[in-house]
Amino acid sequence: MKARVAVLVFPGTNSEEETRDLLIDCGADARIVHWSEAASLVYYDAFVLPGGFAYEDRIRAGAIAAHDAMLDAVIEGAQAGKYIMGICNGAQILLEAGLAPGTGDIRRPTAAFTHNAQGHFICERVLLRRTVAATRCAIAAALPENLLIPAWAAHGEGRLAAVPSHLEEIENGDFIVFRYADVTGATDAHFAPQGSALGAAALTNREGNVLAIMPHPERDAWNFNHLDRSEGNDPLAPSGGSVLFKSFVTALERR
Amino acid sequence: MKERAFAVELKIPDNEAYTAMRALQRLGVEVARVQRADILVFNREESDERLGEIIERDERLFNPNKHRLERLLDMHPRAGEVWIEMLDAPRSAPLRRLVGWRLFDHAGNPLGDADLDAACARLLCNPAIERAIR
Repeated sequence: MKARVAVLVFPGTNSEEETRDLLIDCGADARIVHWSEAASLVYYDAFVLPGGFAYEDRIRAGAIAAHDAMLDAVIEGAQAGKYIMGICNGAQILLEAGLAPGTGDIRRPTAAFTHNAQGHFICERVLLRRTVAATRCAIAAALPENLLIPAWAAHGEGRLAAVPSHLEEIENGDFIVFRYADVTGATDAHFAPQGSALGAAALTNREGNVLAIMPHPERDAWNFNHLDRSEGNDPLAPSGGSVLFKSFVTALERR
Repeated sequence: MKERAFAVELKIPDNEAYTAMRALQRLGVEVARVQRADILVFNREESDERLGEIIERDERLFNPNKHRLERLLDMHPRAGEVWIEMLDAPRSAPLRRLVGWRLFDHAGNPLGDADLDAACARLLCNPAIERAIR
């Protein structure tokens, strides 16, 4: 039986369809669930929070959604060991909810993806490399070592920030699953296009069942995402970013 | 130089303030009205009048169709009010931008300290990146 994955939609979410389609392409039974349908989340094996501007980023990006009734089910699921992935605004929500890095209490954030260092929105293709052991985060476990994953950094608030003691805890606790890399696979803070602390692109929690990733792998997931057809002529053939979703679904199938 | 603060507040209905009020109520904070303002703190030589003109002429800060401008007499938040500032904002900048939240109870009085603390801790301030000025 296919793993059932709920793609959560808040008012202002805008990447739910490509996220669902990619999950389906990777073998999941993925469905879109709206914020008014929180009660149905109990029937799902995993949750994905897609990108967008939930609740118009009111107060702070992700702050209102983190207190939505739908997040009650996500928090409960995370504590029960379900796999949770948040992309871009979804990642911001997971940090506001205290699910990643999860070093404090629930809904008491210890870090945030906040305003870019340059002070404005950016949109550029980036490369990510997993910089923790495969066993650290189940969602990314099936990725080959040193694989470079293409994704699109498309955000105004994608810079990881926290007080120094929490950044140290994040670094020392291997919470950074992906860092920004160059084409050789080297990672360095200056490869982060928005000045993200520690060059971080994605965080997990202590248990490794939550992944909060800022750039969008689902926007580099099919050949039609490449206008120059650089990766082949079949528009629906999978391309680079799809491997993370495949790893996510593989993790669900292995449970 | 002397610091001066101005509040730029919507004079049309503020959806964000309403959203904040409803979220706070769901979180158990006894609040009946929320006002939000951009707090602009200047550390410049110009007169108050000149600073007011600078704000009103900068469409990134002020839209006369939507906003009203108030020169704040005090450099501190008023009763029932908290100012939120990014931790990494330079404190000595000629212009600092903060967000002011004023919370009122059902009788129309400014919210008490305990409820205001709760509102900050539960929603209005992310201590990882922000500080709450009371």
